[in-house]
Amino acid sequence: MNPITLSKQFIFNEKINSDYLFSLYADDYPYIEEVFGVTLQHYDEDVDAIQAAYGNGSVADLRRGVHKIKPAFGFVGLTDIQQSCAVFEDACNRAEETETLKSDYKQLLSLLEEGKLILDKEYRKLKDFNANPL
Amino acid sequence: MNLKCVIVEDLQVAADYLTKCCEKSGQIEVLAHFPNVAEALVYLNQHSVDLLFLDVEMPGATGFELLDQLAYFPKVVLTTSKSEYAYDAFEYNVTDFLKKPFTYQRFQESLQKITTAPENNIAATASDHIFIKSEGKLVRLNNDDILYIESMGDYVKFVTGDKKYVTHNTIKNLEEKVNRISFIKVHRSYIINISKIDDIRENDLYIKGNEIPISKAHRNEVMKRLNII
Repeated sequence: MNPITLSKQFIFNEKINSDYLFSLYADDYPYIEEVFGVTLQHYDEDVDAIQAAYGNGSVADLRRGVHKIKPAFGFVGLTDIQQSCAVFEDACNRAEETETLKSDYKQLLSLLEEGKLILDKEYRKLKDFNANPL
Repeated sequence: MNLKCVIVEDLQVAADYLTKCCEKSGQIEVLAHFPNVAEALVYLNQHSVDLLFLDVEMPGATGFELLDQLAYFPKVVLTTSKSEYAYDAFEYNVTDFLKKPFTYQRFQESLQKITTAPENNIAATASDHIFIKSEGKLVRLNNDDILYIESMGDYVKFVTGDKKYVTHNTIKNLEEKVNRISFIKVHRSYIINISKIDDIRENDLYIKGNEIPISKAHRNEVMKRLNII
């Protein structure tokens, strides 16, 4: 959120859309660290809600859960996962029962797990970077 | 200028980002953040704010349901990740629609709209009639002749005992302008003349054989206004 200098000293994981991230926050790395941290704090709770909805067979709750977490991926630059969430949300709109979403759900869950691993790793790297920028 | 705002948003990272954008602008003071409609309503009914950043899908109730229940009309910027709500946003006469995540530049554009948009707080008229533009002329409608007003997208239909008038307007806008003693909003698409209700059955009311839905959000208010013995 500082004026855009785009020094890009920090190299993000290739799965993170760094151009998108810079478009949101410029090179305000401490703030990006904060965004990653806050997202991680709520990650498990949000994914748990999705899993509970699927377990309960509620398509509506499943859609709501994915709808909620979707923009969080945008805020951390995981735009491919954000897009996958949008596709899954649309599939929920067409589905009448969770059983028909089984295969897509498994794929999504695996993406959510992958997203967390990436985010966690980048958060720790960013923390080190911000503590010792030079 | 210092606009007092409230953020209603269930995604913490989005609320934090929005708060940071507001702080950076130097023009918007964030008074509070609520993760759901119920908590926000309690606050908003006790404090007057200039601006509301409002998510649409939240646990318990939607942002639109909050707007239905608000007793006044601050400027509203909808923040959602779903473009499909743009139509509803227009119907609710909101100032802008921010698709999450948004850049600070986009936020600034929104701020520009907020600062140039006319005030929403138009006092309700106590008049016994209104004038509407219909078929190139201004037509006087006495409150007592109007049965109900129905939304038709960018237009509204005024239904009287013997005529229907279609005019370019929104229910949201009319809600602020019609006489609130005579009229009440019962659904996002309907304002009715309360003295014309013939009967109410479950979630619908009937006026001269016309079935009109009562939304869950408006039901309590409607029931309060009836003279039930």
